[in-house]
Amino acid sequence: MKFIKNHLMFILPLMAILLGVESYLVFDRTTDSYEKGLKEGYSMLVVTKKPMELSALKTLNMHISTSEKIKRENIVSEIAKGVSQSSRKEILASLPYFYNVGLDSYLHTSGLEEIKTDLEADANIKKVETFGSSYSSSYRLFSFIKFTLKLFIIFMAVVSLFLIIKQMEIWKYAHKQRMQVMEIFGAPLMLRSGILFKVAIADAFIATILTSAIFLYVKFQWAANSGIDIMMQNQEELFRLTDMAILLGSALLIVIIAVYSVVFSSKGVQE
Amino acid sequence: MSNVINASHLTLAYDNGAKEIIKDASFSIKKGEFVFITGPSGSGKSTLLKALYGQIRPSEGNLVVGGLDLASARQSKLQELRTHMGIIFQDYKLVNEWTVAKNVVLPLMIAGYSVDVQNTQAHRLLKHVKLAEHADKFPLELSGGEQQRVGVARALAKNPVVILADEPTGNLDDYSSNVIWDLMENACQQLETTVLVVTHKIPTIFSLPYRHFIIESKGVYEVH
Repeated sequence: MKFIKNHLMFILPLMAILLGVESYLVFDRTTDSYEKGLKEGYSMLVVTKKPMELSALKTLNMHISTSEKIKRENIVSEIAKGVSQSSRKEILASLPYFYNVGLDSYLHTSGLEEIKTDLEADANIKKVETFGSSYSSSYRLFSFIKFTLKLFIIFMAVVSLFLIIKQMEIWKYAHKQRMQVMEIFGAPLMLRSGILFKVAIADAFIATILTSAIFLYVKFQWAANSGIDIMMQNQEELFRLTDMAILLGSALLIVIIAVYSVVFSSKGVQE
Repeated sequence: MSNVINASHLTLAYDNGAKEIIKDASFSIKKGEFVFITGPSGSGKSTLLKALYGQIRPSEGNLVVGGLDLASARQSKLQELRTHMGIIFQDYKLVNEWTVAKNVVLPLMIAGYSVDVQNTQAHRLLKHVKLAEHADKFPLELSGGEQQRVGVARALAKNPVVILADEPTGNLDDYSSNVIWDLMENACQQLETTVLVVTHKIPTIFSLPYRHFIIESKGVYEVH
């Protein structure tokens, strides 16, 4: 019972860190596609006096990636119903040119304003409408969630690391007699601390397997029935095989840091 | 014969030099000598022994063991020196979670000997200390005398250059005490091992020639 408790006291904080790491990876991947969707779904309206090529728009601002000309005929047909053909031609001739302009990345409101200023500096451009407010509210909510998650993961990682180091000190105390005897007989630090490394590495593997199991369950069982669009659409992104390697690498790094910090924090285990 | 241990104006102290235990002691011990160190309780016998295996550094003066100046030696050099020593404690200092056999071969394990060599040596050493049948037991399953014999077997495992023994027969029955004295006498006689024994009382039946130092009033004096 004591044996299990000792290991759980190490595995649980380590799992907390790994869950944080994996949550971040998953969140990053799923929101990447969400971000892509927001980016692709967004376009600003540019009104020009004369026709304007994409290359000309790009020279005004480097974030501009696409431009789609809106057919003026469609506009005329909407506003000039019942008007004679000759009048239609006159209206068409006096109408400016309309473009839906897309961007290469997801930008903040200030970025959009910058583009607007750049475009409006061109004499050929009459008007730019960024639709910044609706775009910005989604962006801000999205940024806030991302920031909060990062903050929470960092906080959880720091607290968990302290718990791991504390547990490591308990282990060191538990193995004090053995380490002391080995030290007296000239065992180098790495050899006499070997027991701590062995136990910690074994627990790192256990924590990785348990964390992976949780995410595999989320991926194959929970996500499909969750009713959360972003989860259901990005089910494949919830856990990848490479994540297991990342988790194991992180776990090993954490336990090695913890063991080293405990082993080197005191000069030996002499009486 | 060359000196294995050489102390010159040696001062040993605790609390950063505030509490002096041994002051201005000078002595030397040659290879293959058997030395008893006696003195009243708290006189500094065990402190001197700890200094000889580098657990306490000299506050002043020099202490050279096996050519290594312990006052300035790096920790890695001290570790290396200890691998050439056999140390015996009054409280045995065995690892209770390890079997008797594993305890005995600890110095071989540290030196990186193969498991086969370790097993062969464990059998030979335990036979030597008359504990062959207890190889797979754990220390706490043995009597005090038997545990100390395991400690002696461990000290002898790697044919050390020096054996340092701190009250090795302090709480033991006559049979175990005699076995232990025999083993140390043999090591000294046959392998030319230098043996330093801290004890309250020199055994009455002791066949080898020996030197006797007494620690008193912070000084180390040889009794002729």
